[in-house]
Amino acid sequence: MATTAAPAPINTPAGTSYAPGEATGIWSWLTTVDHKRIGTLYLWTALTFFIVAGIEAFIIRLQLMKPNNQLVSAEMYNQLFTMHGTTMVFLVIMPLSAAFFNYLIPLQIGARDVAFPRLNAFSYWVYLFGGIFMTVPIFFNVAPNGGWFGYAPLTTMQFSGGLNIDFWVIGLQILGVSSLAAAFNFITTIINMRAPGMSLMRMPIFTWMSFVVQFLLILAFPAITIALFFLQFDRFFGTQFYEIAAGADPLLWQHLFWVFGHPEVYILILPAFGLASEILPTFSKKPLFGYNVMVYSGIMIGFLGFGVWAHHMFAVGMGATADTIFAMATLLIGIPTGVKIFNWVATMWGGNIRFTVAMKFAISLVALFTIGGISGVMHSSPPTDLQQTDTYFIVAHFHYVLFGGSIMGIMGGIYFYYPKIFGRYMSEKLGNWHFWSFFVGMNMTFFPMHYAGMLGMPRRIYTYDIGQGWEQFNLWSTVGALLQGVGLICFVYNFVKSRKRGEVAPNDAWGAGTLEWSIPSPPPDYNFAKIPYVTSRYPLWDIKQPEMTAELTHTAPDAGVIADAHAVPMHEETQYYTAKSLGIPMPFPTIKPFFAALFMVLMMAGLVFIHLDLFWVAIFVMIGSGAAFVGSLYGWLTSPLE
Amino acid sequence: MTRLPYRRLGAAMCIAALTLALAACGGQEYPNSTFIHNSEINTDIIALWDRILFMGTLVFIFVEGLLIYTIFRFRAKPNAPLPKPVHGNHTLEIVWTLLPVLILIPIAVPTVKTIFKTQAPAAADALQVEVYGHQWWWEFRYPQYGVTTANELYLPAGKTVAFTLRTVDVLHSFWTPALAGKRDLISNKTNYMWYTPDAKLAEDAFNGFCTEYCGSSHANMRFRVYTTTPENFESWAAHQKLAAAGSPAALAATASADSAAKKAPARAAIIPTPAPVPVSNVGYIFPESKLKSHNVPHTPIPASLTFDDALLASADVAAGHALVTNIANLGKAPCLTCHIIKGEGAMLNLSDNGAKGPNLTHVGTRHTFAGGLFPTNAANVARWIKNAQVMKPGATMNTFGIGEYSALIKAKVTAGLTDKEIADIVAYLMSLK
Repeated sequence: MATTAAPAPINTPAGTSYAPGEATGIWSWLTTVDHKRIGTLYLWTALTFFIVAGIEAFIIRLQLMKPNNQLVSAEMYNQLFTMHGTTMVFLVIMPLSAAFFNYLIPLQIGARDVAFPRLNAFSYWVYLFGGIFMTVPIFFNVAPNGGWFGYAPLTTMQFSGGLNIDFWVIGLQILGVSSLAAAFNFITTIINMRAPGMSLMRMPIFTWMSFVVQFLLILAFPAITIALFFLQFDRFFGTQFYEIAAGADPLLWQHLFWVFGHPEVYILILPAFGLASEILPTFSKKPLFGYNVMVYSGIMIGFLGFGVWAHHMFAVGMGATADTIFAMATLLIGIPTGVKIFNWVATMWGGNIRFTVAMKFAISLVALFTIGGISGVMHSSPPTDLQQTDTYFIVAHFHYVLFGGSIMGIMGGIYFYYPKIFGRYMSEKLGNWHFWSFFVGMNMTFFPMHYAGMLGMPRRIYTYDIGQGWEQFNLWSTVGALLQGVGLICFVYNFVKSRKRGEVAPNDAWGAGTLEWSIPSPPPDYNFAKIPYVTSRYPLWDIKQPEMTAELTHTAPDAGVIADAHAVPMHEETQYYTAKSLGIPMPFPTIKPFFAALFMVLMMAGLVFIHLDLFWVAIFVMIGSGAAFVGSLYGWLTSPLE
Repeated sequence: MTRLPYRRLGAAMCIAALTLALAACGGQEYPNSTFIHNSEINTDIIALWDRILFMGTLVFIFVEGLLIYTIFRFRAKPNAPLPKPVHGNHTLEIVWTLLPVLILIPIAVPTVKTIFKTQAPAAADALQVEVYGHQWWWEFRYPQYGVTTANELYLPAGKTVAFTLRTVDVLHSFWTPALAGKRDLISNKTNYMWYTPDAKLAEDAFNGFCTEYCGSSHANMRFRVYTTTPENFESWAAHQKLAAAGSPAALAATASADSAAKKAPARAAIIPTPAPVPVSNVGYIFPESKLKSHNVPHTPIPASLTFDDALLASADVAAGHALVTNIANLGKAPCLTCHIIKGEGAMLNLSDNGAKGPNLTHVGTRHTFAGGLFPTNAANVARWIKNAQVMKPGATMNTFGIGEYSALIKAKVTAGLTDKEIADIVAYLMSLK
């Protein structure tokens, strides 16, 4: 490693939306292996899918606005609700979380990149191509139509002969590859690449929640992968895992799906909890209350999440004993969740609360998730669940959790980290319009659904008759959806406009205490010119507001450790350099992960041609893409990293 | 940040509260409400719900109140000193770990009790009803009475009903919100549930729904439950198990002199039979006057599907009967290959389990058809026969109207029925009381 004695800082025009001295242009994005750029790509892509799935939801709401409405056909409606759910779960909330994992984890732990930068690029491209593969069919009226849960035997060839379900099965397999690759990457990164002095219990809470989520991913995804392989083999190669004519038990699918599906809920919510746990202390000017308990309760939620899957199945007739066990396990989850809520309130208690847009979103997460939690307890009781499951009450419940929890938390995260990512603040004025139309619209849409459900309205119906007592609730829901649409437009405009015109942000945009705020906004490609030695849980407060961390145990930087790790005492970095002038070896940009992802997706997608009766085309596409995939991997593995 | 945000939060809360107030007091009827004490099962569920709702409301008021108080009380004030950096408090954290436990125990205990109570075996003398789910309609069989019917379930008030739930295709779920919770119909499995409609429900109608997504017409898989007195129920069942009006068996029963029909019922099917004699005693039928507006389907009839309704007035029951039941016409009107009309089509020997479509033996006594989607009247049934797929997305019944486009075979029907023939068939079906 050749180090220059005194690297010269780059003259920096303030407030560029990418760090000065970096390559620009499309090619630089296609070949990037920088975790921040990949995080940004995740952010843009997931927000695009958010708009798509939002439009799908809005059409659903228009169709249900009045009884016996005929805006869309039954077939199109079924595709819309399937794709709304599938897109929001797999192409919006998970990747929005992934955007933050990518962008923040290395910055929060004081690393220069993730452990496997190319694998990281590969994860993103697989996600993008898989997402396109799943989304495009709806424009040709062949989108998946079996629900996001894809219950067998409806999804078998006997009952769904078209291509619709093929896109879903193969698409989810593709996305699983992306999630698993990313999860292994982040686990390795978090375990191995923390800055010196950053013990596990000094990690920022967002990184902690992300850490838990990565384990949930690698433990939960195999279950759905198996379930999907069974279905895929049934559909393409004549196996009979779910063929009822051959005596299959359809509950096999349900158990496998929900063993994945319930932890998936925590995969969706824990990152948002992590973001809220960063935002609430910052704008209360207080450290997070009960850090240890927050960590333990996150782990506890993740752990218990694997023992409650059958509460999605109380109506299938598992018997009184199984119902009881799963009901009790479900109630237990209320405990760590309740603790989190109280700790957030206690964080704000006694603070100096500044109501920025980010803070409003974080507070609304606490308020709205509480409602989702309470309704969750209501159907953890099997007898009452028999009146609630598969009705609009459930739709209300999980939108309070996933919209009120995940989306509100992630939106807070976007307003909070936007200045770090793009070097400029988002407009608070537009942000307030966004927040209030989301907050009011969200409640107006989803609260009446509790009533519709308890008054007998089933889920997943494209139409309903007049006089059933559901008209008003549905009308309110549709008006609320309109309001949310207004909020979304404010947000998109704000997001796009602020990149160039927002107020320029300093390093420490909000006065927070973690490492990512000690480096320039946007961060340079190498992140940290000098890796700091972390002395407490809030290293930046240690040097800027020591009174905030006085209570915590500190470890003095050990001279030996510093020498070993090339670490320096905690400091702020205000200048941009080039990695080269600092002597920091950076991974080469490479197109190979892009091609590896492209050919892998084509290889998996080629299977569809079999159901178009183009057997040889399928063979050609799969073998050709498979060979190209292996070739790309070979090129990837044999080209030097840096 | 000079404006006071809590005021706006308050405004938002007011809007939300107003929404609810309007929704709850709109003077609207809620016929499918799960909050009506119509059966012992629902009474148990409501008791449990009330308790959970009470605890939930306590938590809601406490947490949201605390939250609103906190953000109001500790909002940033100019020149305020830096807050005390509290990192935690073990006592407090232990307290609010235990707090949820105190809330959850009073929910857990009655939950377990209710689970075991409601899932206990049904009373031995219960009325047995077998429910079969089909894409997208309901079949109900009464094994103790030998009755098979579709989409309309008659129940004696005050008597426990033990349901056996099965599906012939994909998963469905059987739900009458105003009477009891739901239970799924699982392929290759048999599920059970029971409840007792209250004795006070002497002549009431309830709407039921499929609540497990089952494909295109999941929304159109509805049914009706009619509760009536045990006497009326017996009268209904006694008539429903008889052979169809005009069938050789029914003729044999009414006109004992006709020896030909007695000797060879199988051959009788190919001999054109006389017009069915109108049935004088049809047993109990749930009175149309007792149906409320929400029990009567209002599904719009697709405008694209036209039928010459004038033909219905002049339709010939006997001609319709011959079309449906004469084996010679099976190529043209293959009704009996999928539907059972008890006493007819004996040569086909169709069993309940082999019949793809609803049993039509007493179709004229039903108020609704096609999964409860339409009122049973001549105009609707005629259009249904002409092109069922237009009437109901994904319907599995063939299109029979000549010249109609069939979504099933993705082509125009060339060898089908004329409007006149359909009108005759409809007249016959409507006569099947």
